[in-house]
Amino acid sequence: MSRARRSLAGIPLRAALPFAAAVGALALLPLVLDPYALNLVTLALVMIAGALAWNWMGGFAGQVSFGHAAMFGIGGFVAARLLLATPLPAPLAWLAGGLAAGIFALGAHPTLRLRGPYFSIATIGLGEAARLVFTYWERFTGGASGLSLPIVAGGKEALYSWALALAAAAVAASWGIRRSRFGLQLLAIKADVEAAADVGVSATLHQDLVFALSGAVVGIAGGLYASYFSFIEPNDLFGFDRSISFVLMCVIGGVGTVLGPVLGAIVFVILHQLLLASYPQLYLGLYGLLLVLIILFEPLGISGLALRVARRLGRGGPPPAPLVTSAAGPASPPGAGGGGRGLAP
Amino acid sequence: MARLLDLAISAVLLAGLYATMAYGLGLVYGVLRVVNLAHGGVIMAGAYLGWVLHGRLRLDPYLSIPLVLVATYAFGALLYRGLVRHLPRGAAGGPASLLLLFGVWLVLRNAAYLLFTGDDQAIRTSYSTHAVPFLGTWVSVNRLAVLGIALVIPVALHLLLHRTYLGKAIRAAAQNAESCTLVGVDVERVYTVTFGLGTALAGLAGVLSATLFAFNPASGAGELLKSFVVVVLGGLGSVVGTAVAALILATVEVFAILVLPSYLTAAVGFVMLVIVLVVRPGGLFGQRVLG
Repeated sequence: MSRARRSLAGIPLRAALPFAAAVGALALLPLVLDPYALNLVTLALVMIAGALAWNWMGGFAGQVSFGHAAMFGIGGFVAARLLLATPLPAPLAWLAGGLAAGIFALGAHPTLRLRGPYFSIATIGLGEAARLVFTYWERFTGGASGLSLPIVAGGKEALYSWALALAAAAVAASWGIRRSRFGLQLLAIKADVEAAADVGVSATLHQDLVFALSGAVVGIAGGLYASYFSFIEPNDLFGFDRSISFVLMCVIGGVGTVLGPVLGAIVFVILHQLLLASYPQLYLGLYGLLLVLIILFEPLGISGLALRVARRLGRGGPPPAPLVTSAAGPASPPGAGGGGRGLAP
Repeated sequence: MARLLDLAISAVLLAGLYATMAYGLGLVYGVLRVVNLAHGGVIMAGAYLGWVLHGRLRLDPYLSIPLVLVATYAFGALLYRGLVRHLPRGAAGGPASLLLLFGVWLVLRNAAYLLFTGDDQAIRTSYSTHAVPFLGTWVSVNRLAVLGIALVIPVALHLLLHRTYLGKAIRAAAQNAESCTLVGVDVERVYTVTFGLGTALAGLAGVLSATLFAFNPASGAGELLKSFVVVVLGGLGSVVGTAVAALILATVEVFAILVLPSYLTAAVGFVMLVIVLVVRPGGLFGQRVLG
């Protein structure tokens, strides 16, 4: 490419500036928002981190996990136990929770020999097994009556800042992974495992790495979630609904894109709040319906819609925003070729 | 010793149910290369259907089987016609069909919550507690009936696939869909029928399991996992393989009660899956499911 790009430490300004502006604006939000709204935004930030981490596995490597609640729960309960038993500062406890979740994900190594639907079904088993074990392991999780956590120094405002930092780090990491050699290797595995192996990309090794990384970040999110709500119980953190929520956030926003899971998490948190308030008996079915409709009509979710609109507005105009990159990789620009309806190339 | 015999007998009886659960999943995957993630949901729906027919119309659960088969067949055929047909299918199935069928499962679950609440239900008949003596122990009549039906299914399936034109078309479509089209087989119709059959078998498994176990709208995840273990372990296109795999799973589960606390037995299926994948990823018989 001959066009010179202004950049900051290798990051094009076009991407860095909006990102910095968004983080700056969010950092000022506690000054203007009421506690209820701030509560929602904090939850959304934690979920953004979780959704992005899920997307590394489900979107980049193409391995759809229905069991990420296991890592969320392990992160949450390990952090909670540490906070209850030691004077460790909360952020270190969350990191430890993330570490435990990452190690647990590594322990799930045998399931990573599987591809596609086999992997997905195995993760349903993984998640359900974790839920059962931790629900009945009362000495660790408090069983169905759950655990109450100590108040974190700095209160909800401090937790908000940490959630923002975590979400920002997850966005930056997503962007970095997508642009890196590692990210390309993941996309290669998703496109064709055997062809990737032929050029020296080991599916098992890379999936191990990305699953551990994804699990660790989801675990940290679980720890933050636990501190924020200061009460946790296994059926919430390890629940099947929790696993589904990560899938939904990414599908709503756009699986395999960088910004999609961010949008999806925001929409999901708002939607969930509204649905729980007005249709508590219907939300599961509405999520199912949403999944069906998105997969049938716009497999890239909101990102796909946005690209469509952008293309229509500026026919052959400027390329789409740099942060929204297609999962299909450089070979096919975002949303190119209306022929492919599926998520997989 | 008597206890071991008891356990062995219950393993055999349970294996019949597991095999019945697995046939539908294996059939659909073998022919369409789609893993029906809604399988567990249809098993749950079949259970409720049998329960409603028994509760409202006083219909014996075993007599309601034809009705359940017809209803779930229609549901499966519609599901294929309306949704699955439009999705990309490939060697790996692709996440699209997976996510879509997962969505269908969520809808089924929610519908069951709305219609029947989240309470545990079971089909209780006048003979639910009856048992007959067998080798010095007692065997529940219900379990025997389930095993009997479970033995009929593979025979019927085998006859259908190997003795009829439709069966020939199904097997041909599984091998090479393009060639099928070339010789004048309506592949889309074959797919519709196959998906309907697979779904109907899931519905049947649902009624059968409802006569033995309690169920609620959230049921299905365990059933899906068990069906999947049986399909992977037994391989595709092998009736014997499925039966043996179901027997292995049931045996491990039943004997796990001896050494594990009861709440952990639900995790046995998952552990089995992992072990199978590590030790024998190709399955025991028939065509490999993986790779």
